[in-house]
Amino acid sequence: MRDKGLDALLVYESGRHNFLRMNYVAYLTDFISVGPETMLVVPLEDAPVLFLSPAWDIPRAQEESWVSDVRPFKEFWSRLPSIAGKVGFVGRESMNAGLHDEIVKSLGALPVNAKDIIENMARSKTAFELARLRRAAEVADAGVSALNEEARPGLKEYELAAIVEYRMRSLGAEDNFGMVVANSHNQALHPATDRIVQTGDIIIGEITPCIGGLFVQICRTMVLGEPLPVVSEKYAILKKGMSLGMAAAKTGAPASDIAAAINGTFIEAGYEDYCRPPFMRVRGHGLGCGSFAPGSLEDANKTKLEKGMTFIIHPNQYLPETGYLTLGDTVVMGETKAESLMRSSWDIFIKE
Amino acid sequence: MIFGRHSVLKRGCSTWDPKQVPQELFHSRLNAVREEMARRNLDALVIYGDNYSFADLCYLTNYFPKVRGGITVVPRAGAISMLLNIGSRDVPFAKTLTWVEDVRASNLVGADGAKLLKEKGFEKAKIGLVDSGQGFPLPQIEEMKAALPNVSWQDCAPMLQPLRLVKTAQELAAMREAGRLLREICAGAGGFIKSGRKEYEIVADIDRLARDKGVEDIRILAGEKRLNPPSFKQAATIDDHWAIYLAVQHERYWAEAGRTFVLSGDAKIAAAYQKAQEIVAAVANQLKPNGAVAAIDDTARRELGEFYATASMYGLANGIGLNQWEAPFLTESDAREVGAASVGATTLNESMTLALRVTFETEGKMIFYGDSFEVTASGAKSLLK
Repeated sequence: MRDKGLDALLVYESGRHNFLRMNYVAYLTDFISVGPETMLVVPLEDAPVLFLSPAWDIPRAQEESWVSDVRPFKEFWSRLPSIAGKVGFVGRESMNAGLHDEIVKSLGALPVNAKDIIENMARSKTAFELARLRRAAEVADAGVSALNEEARPGLKEYELAAIVEYRMRSLGAEDNFGMVVANSHNQALHPATDRIVQTGDIIIGEITPCIGGLFVQICRTMVLGEPLPVVSEKYAILKKGMSLGMAAAKTGAPASDIAAAINGTFIEAGYEDYCRPPFMRVRGHGLGCGSFAPGSLEDANKTKLEKGMTFIIHPNQYLPETGYLTLGDTVVMGETKAESLMRSSWDIFIKE
Repeated sequence: MIFGRHSVLKRGCSTWDPKQVPQELFHSRLNAVREEMARRNLDALVIYGDNYSFADLCYLTNYFPKVRGGITVVPRAGAISMLLNIGSRDVPFAKTLTWVEDVRASNLVGADGAKLLKEKGFEKAKIGLVDSGQGFPLPQIEEMKAALPNVSWQDCAPMLQPLRLVKTAQELAAMREAGRLLREICAGAGGFIKSGRKEYEIVADIDRLARDKGVEDIRILAGEKRLNPPSFKQAATIDDHWAIYLAVQHERYWAEAGRTFVLSGDAKIAAAYQKAQEIVAAVANQLKPNGAVAAIDDTARRELGEFYATASMYGLANGIGLNQWEAPFLTESDAREVGAASVGATTLNESMTLALRVTFETEGKMIFYGDSFEVTASGAKSLLK
């Protein structure tokens, strides 16, 4: 704030905690709000104040965050005119235009977009965050195990998803971005339907539990019954891509190196035309709350990989012979290379 | 108002059966919206919705965003289009949930939304913007407006609210089904709530029960002294009492309930819970056609006396339907809390649907009871019955 000449920072969150973007208030306070309006006011010199709605959630905020001064959001409006000097604003992505206009009017000036301050701080995970991420990874592995143990023909797709989620919630997961689908030829991952699972189905999953606001993701593929030889053959391309992607994840290297390594694997196997949407999206991505850095793993992303960054590498791919197949691990960048946080085997799981 | 931990993805069952919810239903809704557009002299309408607040978008399209958000562009005449913040590979699945044929993917809904409006000839038009959930991200809306400098924008946030206020027979059937499932979930929850179990383990059991019943989404808050969303920080083991709020979404519609499970023979707590149920019943007696919405609050004040402030901590009532919180609201303050422009209605009509709830604190323990109701000609009828 001093470097940018800011006298105060307004940090906003709309109660839509998401792994696809940063929750700046949660990052600074360790409190995940549920109401529509949460504003952390950080003066340069004084103690921060957390304003939030609904008021009934204030005791939880006091208990879960380190901020001692927590007040109803309506009091923010009387505090706002007294905030003097240059004001920075963080959280425009989750704010609506009406609220923004009211704030500008009360301040009498347009606050400076200051999200870089927090995003730069959060690029590399701290030991505190990594401990939660490692716990989340254990939970994700448990979710995969549950699916392997309990998936069977006759269940509905949404019951498969519930199996995974149940195991993870039983271990403390707060949320899950979970897509588990089954078909003989999956077009893509999607939220569960009521389709009844059949023998021979390929079950693909993208499982993303949250612990303490931090998400990890794991992608795996299983088959109910002996897979067709072509499935094993094509899945081997994903495994090779995963290995090469991991090897390309070197500290200091650009994120695009990972995408290039994975794409190269598919190109070598004759699938150059499939290395683009809708057959795949990206070869991995950051996982939010703390930070979305390094962003999406794609050719154009030249962000340098830094020690402590966490992201998923996933060579998920639609192939014409098999449909969509999934494999991916969340990794943390170490001194020189990436370390997977997951323990589940990369092999395709065959459920007899 | 009760806000739960909003899930990053709606991960329950996601289907559309056109035999149950026919396409023609949406055409009649579209006609009603277009009549209002004509009255306001609007050339087009842009309706924003996301997985948090999808009611207006869903009302016309049957689609509810699973993650992130999107817009529907409604011209005064001709086909409507949807632009969703999804990947192109997700479009075929999105189309299984809606009758709208023109479904497009974009991760730049603001910029690409402007292109879509230009493509449809609305570069210099009068366009209404419906964002009743106030979820349209500021950078996106700024991009859209900046790319359309000659458009005259009109804030139409509450425009669809009156259309959604009184439920049709089809909507009521969907809500009764959500209520029936919720009743079963409430009954099943009793088997999971046992002294010594961790709170998040019980939440997992209830969540599983709901998901196995095919719900589209669920919200759970629970606790001994207050309602908490699921969190690994809420790892306490329960003692002899637990209060829980449950809301489920099924076939797009929500129903909610509040229950308190008393595991001891504590007569005082049991009596307080009985009292909470009686007060909700007394308030529900005010839910009749042509009754005043204000009578809900008046009755609660009369019944609760000095306990009114505590009992209304989570809000005493609000409309429920495609949204967990919708008109009618009891107060302007309640409406504002969820971004609504007004209370929506001051008089009740047949086929309105409302959630009622009451909270007590007895010996440091929270007593919570709530239910969802439809207004019928003969009075209130629980959606959970």
